[in-house]
Amino acid sequence: MGPVELLHMSVFSQSFSPCGRFLAAGNNYGEIAVFSLSAALSPDASEGSQKPILNFTAHDGPVFSLLSTDTHLLSAGNGEISAWSWAELIKKNTKAAWTRKPNYETSLEIPEINAMIINPKDNSLTVGGGDNNIHIMDMETGIFKSVLKGHTDYIHCLCFKEREGEILSGGEDGAVRIWDSRTNRPVHCIEVFKYEECARPQFGKWISCLATDSDWMLCGGGPSLSLWHLRSMSPTSVFPLPGCQREAVFYQDLIMSVGEGPNVSHCLHGGTVKAQIPCSPSSLNTLALNLKNTEHRVMTVGGSSHQIDVFTNFSYRAFSLSF
Amino acid sequence: MPFCESFEQLGRFHNSLLGVSDAPFVPKGFLNEVIRKRLLIDGDGAGDDRRINVLMKSFSKWCHSNFSPEEGFSQYQRMLTSLAQCEFSMGKTLLVYNMNLKEMENYEAIYADIETSITSAHEKIAECKKEIQRAKRIRKNRQEYDALARVIKQHPDRHETLKQLEALDKELQQLSHIKENVEDKLELRKKQFHVLLTTIQELQQTLENDEKMDSDDTQESLMDNGD
Repeated sequence: MGPVELLHMSVFSQSFSPCGRFLAAGNNYGEIAVFSLSAALSPDASEGSQKPILNFTAHDGPVFSLLSTDTHLLSAGNGEISAWSWAELIKKNTKAAWTRKPNYETSLEIPEINAMIINPKDNSLTVGGGDNNIHIMDMETGIFKSVLKGHTDYIHCLCFKEREGEILSGGEDGAVRIWDSRTNRPVHCIEVFKYEECARPQFGKWISCLATDSDWMLCGGGPSLSLWHLRSMSPTSVFPLPGCQREAVFYQDLIMSVGEGPNVSHCLHGGTVKAQIPCSPSSLNTLALNLKNTEHRVMTVGGSSHQIDVFTNFSYRAFSLSF
Repeated sequence: MPFCESFEQLGRFHNSLLGVSDAPFVPKGFLNEVIRKRLLIDGDGAGDDRRINVLMKSFSKWCHSNFSPEEGFSQYQRMLTSLAQCEFSMGKTLLVYNMNLKEMENYEAIYADIETSITSAHEKIAECKKEIQRAKRIRKNRQEYDALARVIKQHPDRHETLKQLEALDKELQQLSHIKENVEDKLELRKKQFHVLLTTIQELQQTLENDEKMDSDDTQESLMDNGD
């Protein structure tokens, strides 16, 4: 990989292994790199431990979404979903366990898949992508059992509400749609750009990040990042962050979000931005928290750079892994 | 330590080290150990060991040579002082040894204290961590409450709206009452006018009929006269 390619690399997705000791990251060249966190965090870590232990080309197009189940790593590229066994990846065996494609209506163009989530209740995989629809696949049989139609433009992000079993999807058309996962019917549609306090028409109406925490929902993108109360369907706080946010998560009493601008923003539920932590990439695409493993409890962010910043204490950058 | 209880023991020990055949067979390793220990204790020959050697030599000299009584007595006095000095230094080192033992005990006690305070500090840290988690949860809940309260405050107060509704209701009732009254009056007037108009019409009719009848009468009487 030459220096020019390294310069133009963007990291689009990340996922931690089920044991929490490894991190997989996908970039725009279709490669997936597996890093060993235990080596990088150990007291005698060196330059070499910040390089991937395994780097392979998984798809033709960029890897926009990565997801870990208990045994497998699922990666989504140009219209197809591949599964890799974590045990095999740790042994440096890069043979895919399976590769499946959702049923697309037209066979002319292959839409990219932007987001994947797992519904733990019925063990199904929900994917959303460029064909404006959400496809639901049963993990055991591999059959795509249903399609949720309703968005008028491609889907950026998906999210799942455990308690009610609802799927939330945000798309380029500016609408956040809530679907019931059992009946596969749309329940609500919130058009965020129609609310004056959130809308930022200079950026557009697209929604690129979604997160839920029982009754509350975060959504942002073109409109400002805002916290919504889902029972009353009203925006309660709007966060004054300058750029467009690409990923946001709830963590304990904070909200962490990344987007345009080389910062990780820590915000409080009340609407104040508590801190902005600088990072090395100039703009960030993905944020991941390793909460499964208490020893390697880190936050990693990646964006328009070949480096992935690792935060051991969430208030400052500790070191960077690089592709 | 080669400090012995009595003088004879000291002498015998010394002879054995010098290789005099007074003592039984001593193995070489043991000899080395002892030599090393003696060097450690008093290697420079300027202290207690030298004093003991001098004492020994002067004692043997005193025993074997013939002194005049005064010289013998002074020699004896000198030996006694030297012995007293040896005993003094021995007592001193014993005291130092006891002091060291007591220091060791003291340090052991301090170690134990520090260990317990370390474990209690660990426990306190764990407690504080739990507290911080709790405080974070509380803060999150407070913030959520505040956010919802802000939204709710934007909507008008329920009592006021109810009062407004009541007032509007009353007004509505009053107005409908008035409307009913007006409608009744209108009906009444309509009926009255209707009656008036019909009577006028009837009167007109009767007047016309009367006129017609009059003109008919006159015509008939003219026709009768003509016949």
